[in-house]
Amino acid sequence: MTGTTAYVRFEVGRLLRSWKFLVITVGFPVVFYMLFLGDRSAGRVIDGTVPWRTYLMVSMCGFGTLVAGLSAGGGRLAAERAAGWDRQLQVTPLPAWSYVVTKTLATLIVALPVVGLVELVGATFGGVQLPVWQWVALTLTMWLSAVPFAALGVLVGLTVGTEAAFPVVTALMFVVGYFGGLFNPVSTMPGPLRVVARVLPSYHGQALGLAVVDGRGVAGTDVLVLVASAAALATAVTARYRRRHLRPQIS
Amino acid sequence: MDRGIDTRPGRRTAAVRFAGVVHRYGRRIALDGLDLTVDRGETVALLGANGAGKSTTMALLLGLLRPQTGIVEVLGDTPRRAVAEGRVGAMLQTGTGCGLPPGVRVADALAMVRRLYRAPAPFEEIVTRAGIGPLLRRRTHQLSGGQAQRVRFALAIAGGPELLVLDEPTSAMDVAGRRSFWAMIRRFGDEGRAVVFATHHLAEADEVAQRVIVVHHGRVVADGPGATLKAAVAARRVRFVADRPDLAVLEQLAGVTDVGVCGPVVTLDSLDADATVRALVRAGVDFRDLEVSGAAMEDVFVALTEESARRAVVGL
Repeated sequence: MTGTTAYVRFEVGRLLRSWKFLVITVGFPVVFYMLFLGDRSAGRVIDGTVPWRTYLMVSMCGFGTLVAGLSAGGGRLAAERAAGWDRQLQVTPLPAWSYVVTKTLATLIVALPVVGLVELVGATFGGVQLPVWQWVALTLTMWLSAVPFAALGVLVGLTVGTEAAFPVVTALMFVVGYFGGLFNPVSTMPGPLRVVARVLPSYHGQALGLAVVDGRGVAGTDVLVLVASAAALATAVTARYRRRHLRPQIS
Repeated sequence: MDRGIDTRPGRRTAAVRFAGVVHRYGRRIALDGLDLTVDRGETVALLGANGAGKSTTMALLLGLLRPQTGIVEVLGDTPRRAVAEGRVGAMLQTGTGCGLPPGVRVADALAMVRRLYRAPAPFEEIVTRAGIGPLLRRRTHQLSGGQAQRVRFALAIAGGPELLVLDEPTSAMDVAGRRSFWAMIRRFGDEGRAVVFATHHLAEADEVAQRVIVVHHGRVVADGPGATLKAAVAARRVRFVADRPDLAVLEQLAGVTDVGVCGPVVTLDSLDADATVRALVRAGVDFRDLEVSGAAMEDVFVALTEESARRAVVGL
């Protein structure tokens, strides 16, 4: 366990030191949010109850954590694999689960300031006003909803090479973001796309966030889909890590 | 205790034991009944061409692969447990990468890796052994190939391993780097630890290892001290200059297996150089510039692997 603690500290330290990476990863969703802010009329109402500005802020929290998960997990991990560092760790006593959990945790740590900054922009420029408890609840909700994104990022990082990492990460960002209704409400999409949204964690994370802001009860299906997708992705990550574990560079 | 491995305490087990190990990747057979043993305190080279099965052997040794058939035992335990308990240290091939985490200070990487072990070697001792004192404050991407390799060596011995496994460790190094690297490994092995390294550099296997195991097409084709291996194949080469060499006479000399004449220069391959030279004198051959040398490891290697079916287990 002390080994895992040491590794977690090491990974988090590495992330916090790479400030260029952090600035871009955290800054991108914020800039994206501001572009959207200037574009739409604040009076619009989504699904009959949700003001556009609230919908937008919650969506951008989701998009931000998606970006963070994919780039912190995917891009960085692919680079690390290219260096052969994961193979060195494989021949130390560090257990496989510890590697996977640490990578996911480190990715989540990047996601937290993203949520905070998007909310800050929402409160200052976005015209969103909430009582303190709702800010806190929303922050936690959006952060925890990022677990599937972090796992997805780690899965990408373990699966694709450095050259493929960037296009794959970018594609997933927009596919999971768009079809999950983060740029446009799902209710405005044609029927088949609405079905696609139902299976995406991005859609359900957004729904949870909106439920918190709305004050209406949290829907069990949203939680269920998020937990299920996190579990499925974590399983895929572990299987992928093992598979990699079991396949040496043959020569 | 599973897989019939004896883990009774106090029992002196081999550092590494492979028995009848077969491993396939799809239809391609990588290991075809591999048997080998490495004792504690031994430094052994696994010598073979690319594709001979060295890396598969290494992967099995480290528990990165499970044997499909046969037994692999490391320090009297399964490879996975031996690695999980921190009794094994390894440097794997890293392809084009440096094998280190990007953008980290060397000291931080070493400190972290040490903490992965229950009973790590003292920090200062590792630094001294690997000679990385001046590199500690550098970041990993600022290191040269040879420096990175030293740091990776430091990481490999961070846990004070009983067995050190190196997969072609010097492939990215220049001659001077290689020499000092191997000096480092030799010192490490001299302290009663087992060292197993894979290489296709014949000179390295010969100079560094106490024993050389030659692998070809997934089987052990030769196993013995470098000198014994050489002895197994046309042990010595006798060269001299003679004005009118008489092929018929030379072929009849004691011990001679092959005669080469190139102008006045005569080359005799002999299984008994002493007898050959004595016979040369008795036959009244008018030679000068006599030279006796061991056959090069290259020749040994070629001879041993020429016939993959042949099993030439010597020196045991």
